[in-house]
Amino acid sequence: MSSANAPQMSKSLWRHALDSLKKDRYAMIALAVVLLYTLIALLSSIGVLGANWSQEVGASYAAPDMNNIFGTDIFGRSVLEKTIKGTEVAMSVGLVVALIAIAIGVVVGAIAGYFGGLIDELIVWFYTTFSSIPGIMLLVAITLIMGKGIIAVYLALGLTSWVQLARLIRGEVIKHKDREYVQAASAIGSSHFRKLFIHIIPNVMHIVIINFSLQFQFAIKSEVILSYLGLGVQGQPSWGTMIDDAKLELARGVWWQLAAATFAMFGVVLAFNILGDALRDALDPKLKGK
Amino acid sequence: MADKILDVKDLVVQFNTDRGVVTAVDGVSLEVFKGRTLGIVGESGSGKSVTALAIMRLIPHPPGIIKNGVVKFRGESLLDKEMVDMRKIRGNKISMIFQEPMTSLNPVFTIGNQIEEVLELHQSDLSKEQRHKKAVEMLSLVGIPSPEKRIKEYPHQLSGGMRQRVMIAISLACEPDILIADEPTTALDVTIQAQILELMKKLQKELGMGIIMITHDLGVVAETCDDVAVMYCGKIVEQGTADHIFNNPRHPYTKGLLESIPSFDATTGDAKDRLPTIEGMVPSLFELPEGCSFQDRCSKCISQCRQPQEVLALKEVATGHAVSCFNHY
Amino acid sequence: MNIYSYTFRRLLYVIPVVLGVSLIIFVLFNLVAGDPTAILLGKHASASQMAELRHELGLDRPWLAQYFDVVRSAFTFDFGRSWSTKQEIFEMIKAGAIPSLTLSFPAFFLSTVLAIIVSLFVSFYRGGVVDRLVVFVCVALMSISSLAYILFGQWFLAYYLGLFEISGYESGFPYFIPYVLLPIIIWMVLSVGPDVRFYRTVVLDEIYQDYVRTARSKGLSERVILFKHVLKNAMIPIITYVLIKIPFLILGALLLESFFSIPGLGSITLNAINGSDFPVIKAMTILSSIAYILFSVFTDVMYCLVDPRVRLK
Repeated sequence: MSSANAPQMSKSLWRHALDSLKKDRYAMIALAVVLLYTLIALLSSIGVLGANWSQEVGASYAAPDMNNIFGTDIFGRSVLEKTIKGTEVAMSVGLVVALIAIAIGVVVGAIAGYFGGLIDELIVWFYTTFSSIPGIMLLVAITLIMGKGIIAVYLALGLTSWVQLARLIRGEVIKHKDREYVQAASAIGSSHFRKLFIHIIPNVMHIVIINFSLQFQFAIKSEVILSYLGLGVQGQPSWGTMIDDAKLELARGVWWQLAAATFAMFGVVLAFNILGDALRDALDPKLKGK
Repeated sequence: MADKILDVKDLVVQFNTDRGVVTAVDGVSLEVFKGRTLGIVGESGSGKSVTALAIMRLIPHPPGIIKNGVVKFRGESLLDKEMVDMRKIRGNKISMIFQEPMTSLNPVFTIGNQIEEVLELHQSDLSKEQRHKKAVEMLSLVGIPSPEKRIKEYPHQLSGGMRQRVMIAISLACEPDILIADEPTTALDVTIQAQILELMKKLQKELGMGIIMITHDLGVVAETCDDVAVMYCGKIVEQGTADHIFNNPRHPYTKGLLESIPSFDATTGDAKDRLPTIEGMVPSLFELPEGCSFQDRCSKCISQCRQPQEVLALKEVATGHAVSCFNHY
Repeated sequence: MNIYSYTFRRLLYVIPVVLGVSLIIFVLFNLVAGDPTAILLGKHASASQMAELRHELGLDRPWLAQYFDVVRSAFTFDFGRSWSTKQEIFEMIKAGAIPSLTLSFPAFFLSTVLAIIVSLFVSFYRGGVVDRLVVFVCVALMSISSLAYILFGQWFLAYYLGLFEISGYESGFPYFIPYVLLPIIIWMVLSVGPDVRFYRTVVLDEIYQDYVRTARSKGLSERVILFKHVLKNAMIPIITYVLIKIPFLILGALLLESFFSIPGLGSITLNAINGSDFPVIKAMTILSSIAYILFSVFTDVMYCLVDPRVRLK
């Protein structure tokens, strides 16, 4: 039979999504940008790149020139090196925060949606309460408890950004739990745990993946606000502290630290935004064909 | 013969997709007569709905485009009209109802509002009171009980069958010359289906419009249509009166469709032993075989059918009965 | 069930949420946040000084009593006095509300109107160059740190070009206007990206509905379809989106107020955060939480009123 329909129909949602992503030129460029930042962050963490960020390479606040293409900061350190070192912080904050938020969001949302009843009501009460408190207040409270430093940043941002995902997952799980495939699993005696994590969760994974790229860029942006509040990363450069430094530098005409950090951040956040949109288009069947 | 009100010639509609250009409608010609019903039958993807949307010039562009063809309504060429003038035809001279009664009405307007809207648009000389009166009349015409009360209701307060009646009321409010019904009963229960079809036949008698009935259901065709066009992969493969199609089908595809209708022996109540089916699947429009599109599923396929250079066209086999098959050349 | 009893039932749900918010605040600030007296008195305070201050602040009372204080303040709005300024917190909030509103209300109103207009415009030309360009610009605008906008705007537009006041505030109409102009513009730039994207998605969701095809087949023009049929349906999610953002105006634009020295609630909050002024932080948290809960009730009720499909059960 010459019909091309058969393989196309058996192709799974994932396969289809991957194909449509591959065809999306912007998504592929965005993915390349994300991979490039990841590579820079990895090289920086093993000391190949950005290792000399703390060394004095010129005068204080030297404008960009051939030696230091992004200029220097107040201590005469290279802004380029700091920006590279900052990539490490940004990418680790994005990754860890997204993973924390997803872990909490998926588990909480899935349990609420799957078990329903009192458990559901309690969980919904909890996250309604939690989400009615302004995020910034929670951030402040958590860093007050945790002290300052990168671990506090991870936890503060991770613990405050899971509610939206939990809501989405809860809704999806409620939709899925009465479907035939789950009933079939019940019929062969699967445990709740098995039904929930082996059968249902993989079917809501697309939401998690879309959410991952949103969380990632949101965390990178939030790190700046934490730095401004004096609650940011200590002891190593981050884009947040670099941008925050600019509030004292701009009046002296020192714009390069702000520009370098903003530009570096713009690149990766934009890439995640574009990737997130492309993932949503590819994975969310509701929006397909628009 | 009766008054010809719509004449479609060589209609070609294409869509630009990620995978290339597809020709959804490929050289379709049709005629619609006053007071008669033309059925367009085919499987999903055969181009029957696209044909209807093209007549209304409602093909979403992009990605769709009417590449070629002539659509003459009472002698006027619809494809050459400015959009402003085309809008004066839609809902007024040519109306359309759709398959999805549950979603085809706007959920946030009352049904009265939605009927009056089309009157306000095309019969602007009517006063507000007259429009309201006409809307109530239309609702009672399509058999909605206590129309004065119902007119203030929202679509979600009505059942699917009732909503389809409202759609018919909207489409007939301006007494159009042609009603295009795109699978009007597919989404409805069987008993409601019969009621809606009866209603359409009754209204056709009263108002005298021509109907284009688009369906995949030969039962619907048998019940309502005077003329039939069978479509396959964007082309008409057989065209004739209902009598021709049902009693003397000539194209292997038409024959296959008729044989695959389930039926039972009325005397014994037994179903026929085995239902014949058409082997294989409709080919993707991206990968149509060269020559006849039906070749891979056809039991009568001859070498000529696979020749790309052979021109396959509708050929009259009897008066008013045309088939596009080499077996009849 | 009618709309009144529905509203009443939803309002009842406010109580457990307020109790929950109070509990979280109590746990965070009274139980685990560490001893505030150490922060207030500095490193060199003696143990007896600290104990005295703890007593003065009521921190040596039983936990249950301290929790009830938090709950009570949520219903009486009696938040006590600030640790750093010794002022009545309720008076501070009253004084800060007006400057905050002179910034946040016009900024919120203007940015919402702008975003809706832009999104209708791009939906009309959906899929075209303008649409894609606007969507890209929105995403690009969203990819820049809000702090960078404020720093750059203040430095370049106000300081360097001298187009606006650099910072400060004068109360009374119309004297405050020059001081809030630039913050309003920055606010609009900050919110136009996400807003336009949201509204555009809402409008496009509606444009592909079957009823739009029906409207076209009736002979309506694209303009009437967009502004009458689509917009009325899109208003339902749009109203929800707008209403639910209003309670966040309470905290004001935290960063904007602090950078432009506008003495509003945002500045009060930030000062409290910097000075570990727990009573003020707690008061602002409770206040904005209550506003959020009440507005979510209001949003749900509005939803029932605008959407004829919603049936109360």
